Amino acid sequence: MIGVVSYLTFFLTMAGIMAIITLGLNLQWGYTGLFNGGVVAFFGAGAYGTMILGGPAEPGQFGGFGLPYLVALGGGVLLAAALAWVVGLLTLRLRHDYLAISTFGVAVALESLARNSQWLTGGARGMRGFPRPFEAVIESNFLFGVVFLLIVLAVLALVWWGIERLVHSPFGRALRAIREDETAARALGKSPTRLRLWSLVIGAAIMGAGGGLYVSYTAFVSPQDLLPILTFQVWAMLIVGGAGNNRGAVLGAVLIWGAWTLSGFALTRLVPDSMQLDAGSIQYILIGTLIVSMLLWRPEGLLPERISNPRNTTVAKAAHTSNKE
Amino acid sequence: MIQSLLDGILTGAIISLGAIGLTLIMHMLRFANFAYSELLAIGAYAALVFDRLFSTLVPVLDEAFAPLTLTGALALSMVIAMVLTGLSAVVIDWLVFRRIRQKADPLSMVFASFGVALIIRNVIVLIFGHHAQLYSQEIARATILSFDPLILIKPDQVFVLVLALVLMLALHLVLTRTTFGFALRAVAENPALAQVAGVRLTTVIAAVWIIAGSLSAAAGTLYALTNQLNPMIGPVFLLPVFAATIVGGIGSVYGAVLGGFIVGIASGLALLVLPSGYAPAMPFLIILAVLLVRPQGLFGEDQR
Amino acid sequence: MKRHILGLAGASALAIGLQTGAALAQECSVNVGTLYPTSVDWGRPIAETALWVGEMINEAGGVDGCDVNMILRDDQNDGRVGVDAARALVDIDQVQLLIGTVSSGITIPILTSVTAPAGVMQMSCCSSSTRLTEIAASGEARGLWFRTFATADVQAAVAAMLARDAGIESITVVYKNDDWGQDIGRMAAAAFEAVGIEVHASIALNDAQPSYRAEATQALRDQPGALYLALYPTEGISFVREWLGLGGTSVMIGANSLRSDDFRTTVGLANLGDFIGTDTSSPRVPSAEAFVDAYAAHFGSAPSGPGLANSFDAAAIALLAYHAAGRDATGTEIAAQVPRVTDPDGEAIPATVEGFAQAMAILSEGGSVSYQGATGAVTFDANGNVSAPAVSWVFDDSGMAEQRYISLEEVSGFMASIN
Repeated sequence: MIGVVSYLTFFLTMAGIMAIITLGLNLQWGYTGLFNGGVVAFFGAGAYGTMILGGPAEPGQFGGFGLPYLVALGGGVLLAAALAWVVGLLTLRLRHDYLAISTFGVAVALESLARNSQWLTGGARGMRGFPRPFEAVIESNFLFGVVFLLIVLAVLALVWWGIERLVHSPFGRALRAIREDETAARALGKSPTRLRLWSLVIGAAIMGAGGGLYVSYTAFVSPQDLLPILTFQVWAMLIVGGAGNNRGAVLGAVLIWGAWTLSGFALTRLVPDSMQLDAGSIQYILIGTLIVSMLLWRPEGLLPERISNPRNTTVAKAAHTSNKE
Repeated sequence: MIQSLLDGILTGAIISLGAIGLTLIMHMLRFANFAYSELLAIGAYAALVFDRLFSTLVPVLDEAFAPLTLTGALALSMVIAMVLTGLSAVVIDWLVFRRIRQKADPLSMVFASFGVALIIRNVIVLIFGHHAQLYSQEIARATILSFDPLILIKPDQVFVLVLALVLMLALHLVLTRTTFGFALRAVAENPALAQVAGVRLTTVIAAVWIIAGSLSAAAGTLYALTNQLNPMIGPVFLLPVFAATIVGGIGSVYGAVLGGFIVGIASGLALLVLPSGYAPAMPFLIILAVLLVRPQGLFGEDQR
Repeated sequence: MKRHILGLAGASALAIGLQTGAALAQECSVNVGTLYPTSVDWGRPIAETALWVGEMINEAGGVDGCDVNMILRDDQNDGRVGVDAARALVDIDQVQLLIGTVSSGITIPILTSVTAPAGVMQMSCCSSSTRLTEIAASGEARGLWFRTFATADVQAAVAAMLARDAGIESITVVYKNDDWGQDIGRMAAAAFEAVGIEVHASIALNDAQPSYRAEATQALRDQPGALYLALYPTEGISFVREWLGLGGTSVMIGANSLRSDDFRTTVGLANLGDFIGTDTSSPRVPSAEAFVDAYAAHFGSAPSGPGLANSFDAAAIALLAYHAAGRDATGTEIAAQVPRVTDPDGEAIPATVEGFAQAMAILSEGGSVSYQGATGAVTFDANGNVSAPAVSWVFDDSGMAEQRYISLEEVSGFMASIN
C-alpha cells in the first residue's frame, strides 16, 4: 500500500513539473499566441543552469559552484529567461510559423551545445551529483518524495497565482488584445513586440523552473533530456487541456502524462510477447491519433478559454483574412 | 574545399527537391507542415516495395545501368512511388488537414501535422522495422576527377543532380507555360480573386499536394539510393528542408531550389571550421542568419 | 478522449488483476524488475536474453525456492519514461533488484533518484559512461551498482595494441557522438598516440544526419593509413559505405558495437577483409561457447547484436546473488552477495541450467562460486565495474570469428605501459 502511495507521490511530482512547464507555454501560446516550438530549450536551460550553479565541481569543467538550492534554481530560471530574451529579440518579428521553426532550431542548437561542450556541460556524459534539496536531513526515501512533491506543488501554485494575476492585469489584457488583433492594439498605443517579448521571457522562466525542479529530483542531466519529444508532450498537454485556461493546462498535463506512463505500463502487460518490440510504436501512434482527433473534434481543448465568444470561430476567420492581406 | 563545395551541391539537390513541395504547401495553405518530410519516407519505402517486387518478377530489370547502381526496377519503382506518394499526400490532406482547415485556426494545423508525422513514422516502423535497408548492396565507387587537390565524385550523385534539375525544369515549365500553372499561381496570390475568376480551389490544392508528394518521393528515393533507408528519414530531413524553404522565401520555387543548395553547401563547408559534432545545428544557424538579414527569405515577398 | 482514458485505465486494471492472479497460483515468487528499451531495435534482444535467464533460473529451482517473476518495462530510450517505469517497479511491484538499462543517460537518473535512495540493487548490461564510475566512487550509489559492460578503456587500449601489431602508422578516429562514443574516442586517440601511431583527427558522427559524406570527406583529406570506428551499425553502415565509395582505406579497426550482421551484410564481406574488431572478454573458456550454443538453440540464431552476452551475465549474476541472499533479502543484502557469485577462488560453474542448480546448491550451503559466464569469469571492482580479457575478431563467411585472445594479464600490462 505504501508502495502505491509512494508511486503516486512520484507520479504527481512528475505531472506537477510537466504542469508547470505547460503553464509557461499557456502564457506564451494561450494568452499571447506565441508559437514556441522549442519548449525543451528553455527546460534545458533551466536544468543545466541549476546544475552548473548548484552541482559539485568536476575536474576540467566549468561550474560546480555548489550554491544553495534556491540560488541555483533561481539562476536556472534566469538563464532560461535570458535565453528567451535573446531568442525573442532575434525572432519575435517573424511570422508565427517562422517563429516555430526558429525556436525548434534553438532547441536543436542547445542540444548540440550541451552534447559537445565538454568544458561546460560535460558533453554527452551529462552532469551528475546535484545535492537533492533536504535529502541530507530526511532519513526516509518516502518522506523525501513527499517533501519534494510539496516543493513542486508550491512552485506550481506560485506560478498559477502569478499567471492569473498577470493575465487579469492591464498587461494580460494587452497581451490578449495583440493576440486577437494586433493592428487594433497597435492603434491603441500598445507595443506588440515589447509585450510579446515579455510574455516569451516570463513563459520561458517558468519552463526553466520546471527544468530546475526536474534536475534537482534526478540529480543528473544529460543531452538525452533535451530531445524534442518533451516539446511535443507539453504541446499535447496544452492542446488537450485547453489553451488559454490554466485549469485546462494543468488538467492536460496530468492526463497526458498519465496516459503516457499508463499506456507504457498497460502495453507491456497486454501486448503479446511477440509484439513487445512494437509496443513503443503503437504507443506513439495512439498519442498521434489522440492529438489529431482532439484537433478534429474538440480543437478548443477539454477546458476551453473562458471568454464571452470562443476564439476559434471569429478569430480563426480574422486570422485567415489577415493572413491574406 | 572544392570537394566540400561539390559534396554540398550534391546533398543540396536532394534537399531542394524536398523543399519545392514544402514551399508551395506553406504558401498555399499557410501552415508549417511538420509532417511534410515524412512524405520522403513514404516515397522511399514505396519505391523499396516495388523495387523488390519488380526485381523478383522480372529479373532483367535487376541489372544496374553501369556506372550507376540504379536498376531498371528501381527507376520504374520510383515513378510508381511518386504517383503513390502524391496520392497519399492528397488522402492525408483530405482526412486531416482539410477538416481542420475548415473549423480551426491555421495554427491548429501545425500542431495536427506533429501528430500526423508521429503516426506516419511509427506505422512505417511497424511495417518495415527500425533497421537500415538498401536498394542495392553494391557500394557506389567514386571517380577521381583530380588528384591535387583530390576531387572525387560518384556517378550516382551526378545522376541525382541531373534528375533533380530535370524535375525542377519540368515543374518550371508547368508553372509558367500551362493554364494549370497560371491557376496555381493565381490561387497562391489571391485565393478569393482566383475563385471569382473560376479557379476551383480544391482542385488546385489537390494538385499542389500531388506535386509536393511526388517530388518528395523522388527526393526520398534518390536519398535512399545514395545513402540508406530507415524510418528516421522524416525527422532527419525536417530541419534541412524547412531551412531551405525559409532561406529561399516561402512561396518561391526558385528560392527553394537555391535554398536547398545553400543549406547543402553551407553544411558541407561548415565542417571546415566547426567540429562535426555541431552538424545538426547548421541548418538552424543558416535559417537564423538569413532571417536576420531578410525576414521574408531571399526570394520571398514581404507578407507582413 | 474520456473513453480513451477509461479504456487505458480498464486495461491496466485488468493487467494488474491478471498479474496477481498469476502470483497466487505459485507457492511463492520474487519480483525482479527488468527495464530495457524494448521498443528500440537493438534493445529487444537484450531484454529477451535477460528474460531467458529468468526462465533458466526458474528451471534450476528458482531464487531461494521461489519462482522469479521478471517484470519487463520499456524505457523508450527516454529519461523521464525510464525513471517513471523504474519508480513503478520499485514502488508498486516492490522489486529489490532492478536489471537495466542500456543508455547511461537513463541508467544514471534511475540510479541516483530511484534505486540508490530506495536501497534497490541495480545491475546494467550495457551502460558504459565513466560518470557511473564517478557516482560509484563518490558513494552516491551506496554499493548497489554493478555493470557487466567493461568500461571503454579496455577496448580502446586493445585497439591500439592491434593497430601497433598490424603496423599501422597513422589513423583517424571516427566516433558516435554520445557518451560512450566520446569516452572511447578520446581514450582510443590517447592510446594510439601512446604507442606511436599518428592520430590525424577525431571526427564525431551525430545521430540521424542526412549524409555522412562531409565527415567522410573530412577524414579522407588526411589520407590516414587506417580508420578507428567507435560507431553503432546505423551510422557505421552509412559512413563506411560512403568512405569506401570515396576510395578510403579498407584497413579499419572497430569497436564491439559493430559486431552485427546488419553491418556485415550491408557493407559487404568483400569490403571487410581488412577489418579487425575488438571486444572485451568472450574468453576461450567452454562457458562462452556454451552461451553461444545455448543462445542459438533457444532463439534460433547465433547472438550477434551488441550487449547480449553482457545482458545474460548481468541477469545471471544478479539472480544468483539474490538466491544467495535469500527470498526476503533487501537490495543491499543482494549486492553484498555478489562477491560470493564471482569469487575467483570459488567453484567454477558454467552458465547452464545445471550450472545454475549446482551454483545455487553451493551458495545455499554458504560456499562461494566462480560464475563462468558468457563474458567469462566476471569480477567486479569496488565501483561495480568489470575488468575483462579482450579478443580481436574478424568478419567471415559464417558471421564473425574470434581471432586472437588477449588475456586479462596482457591487457592490464599493456594498459599500464601506455598510461
